[in-house]
Amino acid sequence: MAENIVEVKGLKKHYKDFEAVKGVDLVIKEGEIFGFLGPNGAGKSTTINMLSTIIKPSSGTATINGYDTVKKKNDVRASIGLIFQEQTLDEKLTANENLMLHCKFYNIEKHKREERIQEVLEIVDLTDKRSNIVETFSGGMKRRLEIARGLLHYPKVLFLDEPTVGLDPQTRNHIWEYILKLKEKAGITIFLTTHYMDESEICDRVAVMDNGKLIALDTPEALKNNVGGDIIEISTEDNAKAKKRIEETYNTEVSESDNKTLTFQVNKGSEFLVNFVKEFDISITSVNLRRPTLNDVFLNLTGREIREETMSKRDLAKKQMKRGPH
Amino acid sequence: MEGVIAIWQRDVIKFFRDRARLIGSFAMPFMFLILFGSGMSGAMSSMIGGAESAGPLADFDFVEFMFPGIIGMTVFNTAIFSAMSVVQDREFGYMREILVSPMSRVSIAIGKVLGGSTVALFQGLMMLIFVPFIGVTITFSMVLQLIPVMFLVAFALSAIGLLIATTLKTSQGFQMVIQILIFPMLFLSGALFPLSGMPTWMNFLVKINPLTYSVDMFKKIILQPEQMAPALREAMGLNLSVFNHVITFSEEVIVVSLLSVIFIVLATVRFSKSEA
Repeated sequence: MAENIVEVKGLKKHYKDFEAVKGVDLVIKEGEIFGFLGPNGAGKSTTINMLSTIIKPSSGTATINGYDTVKKKNDVRASIGLIFQEQTLDEKLTANENLMLHCKFYNIEKHKREERIQEVLEIVDLTDKRSNIVETFSGGMKRRLEIARGLLHYPKVLFLDEPTVGLDPQTRNHIWEYILKLKEKAGITIFLTTHYMDESEICDRVAVMDNGKLIALDTPEALKNNVGGDIIEISTEDNAKAKKRIEETYNTEVSESDNKTLTFQVNKGSEFLVNFVKEFDISITSVNLRRPTLNDVFLNLTGREIREETMSKRDLAKKQMKRGPH
Repeated sequence: MEGVIAIWQRDVIKFFRDRARLIGSFAMPFMFLILFGSGMSGAMSSMIGGAESAGPLADFDFVEFMFPGIIGMTVFNTAIFSAMSVVQDREFGYMREILVSPMSRVSIAIGKVLGGSTVALFQGLMMLIFVPFIGVTITFSMVLQLIPVMFLVAFALSAIGLLIATTLKTSQGFQMVIQILIFPMLFLSGALFPLSGMPTWMNFLVKINPLTYSVDMFKKIILQPEQMAPALREAMGLNLSVFNHVITFSEEVIVVSLLSVIFIVLATVRFSKSEA
């Protein structure tokens, strides 16, 4: 059983008149990168909070590293590392002080502390910033320091709740490099939530959550294959007419976005495209063939797109303010 | 145990790093002691000493009288406000880092109260800088007595602060509640004027105010009332008594210790229930 590092059965959480998580079942193997995908308010954070002993589930059970998250709280806490959506560093202290306190909170033996701090700082490339006050760090550096701190006590499972939200694309890429490096070097299990589609592609498996329920759970590849083939995007001189024609001829559903692009799914896209362009009698202005992304998966499963816009502007601004300038 | 020390250490490091807070902490006591105290001292002396310039009451010096009270005020304020860091940690997210660690909630609460008490002790000791300017004599043995007493009083107040902090969500709310609480307690403690000739209702409030006994301990150490003329001692309100029993120093220590225990238990229980 040791290889199932996380086991969740019928996990539910309801508040007074609102059911945030409506029963989650899942099993995660040791060393896996497991992604939790879904729009804001889907229940991802609530689930993570239950797994990490922060909130008590209304019903159901979860075990991490063999410990029950309700009965063996402290053992679970010692087995996990947490990187929250919100920043949780003490900005008035130096990077070293933040890490040293963490060592003490987690009762890491005295003679190991120095070595561990060196080690985690190296992973996130912050060795030369060790004695600097955290206040002077950029948003990306703070995030990296939090990741380093989360690793100090050698957790079995590292939870990352929206690890890159509010960061610029370049920093986001770096953070992902660090996370991948972690998996290779430390072999720890990583459980992350995100609502950026491209980010969940690096996961070994992805669970799609919507409305408090898991609506799909598989490898990114398998999820994309379920969409049913490739995605073709075309624009024509008469989209309305073209839409009707495609639907009649190929018996597939066509969606139109921005009055410009028609999107539909076909099998074996490249072969299809050759004939399609030859035969189609409405003049085509552009054509594009692509593999489905997880965004298409979500669209397919829920009929809605996951978009950053699902997070209100106000929330975004709030998050950005908390994280500080980059 | 190490968790307690870590939590304590963090508050102490941050206290010494915050220069503005260090310097600012002198402002209130300075104003009370030098501006208010010196200003009032003429009026107070003539009120208490009367017109005659001879006799035991002529020795009355208001600034000297106020000094133990000001030390008390500094210790109370610092200690009770130290719990604001709990509210701020919650606001700024650091509390989550603390609460998801395997440390017990009890060690977190005790570490916080010890941190607040230590900072308050330092602040209280820093008030001794005023000694040369106000004509009080402080001996080394007085300082040795003051240290544990300050710490005890600070511990009780920090625990009260933590109890309040665990029930409040914002630091503004916390500040408001503490102001409303600390000012009447301070005015009714004998820190700022002699506790003599008060109306009955006020006398009652003074006697149930824990700060009264705390301030009185500082007065007993610094002013040495047993060496004063009885009339002067009476005029300075130094014969603190309950039901005609004159309270001794050790009784005061017991009262404040008991309060410390009660409030640390309440605060810890309350804090243990808080979620991250």
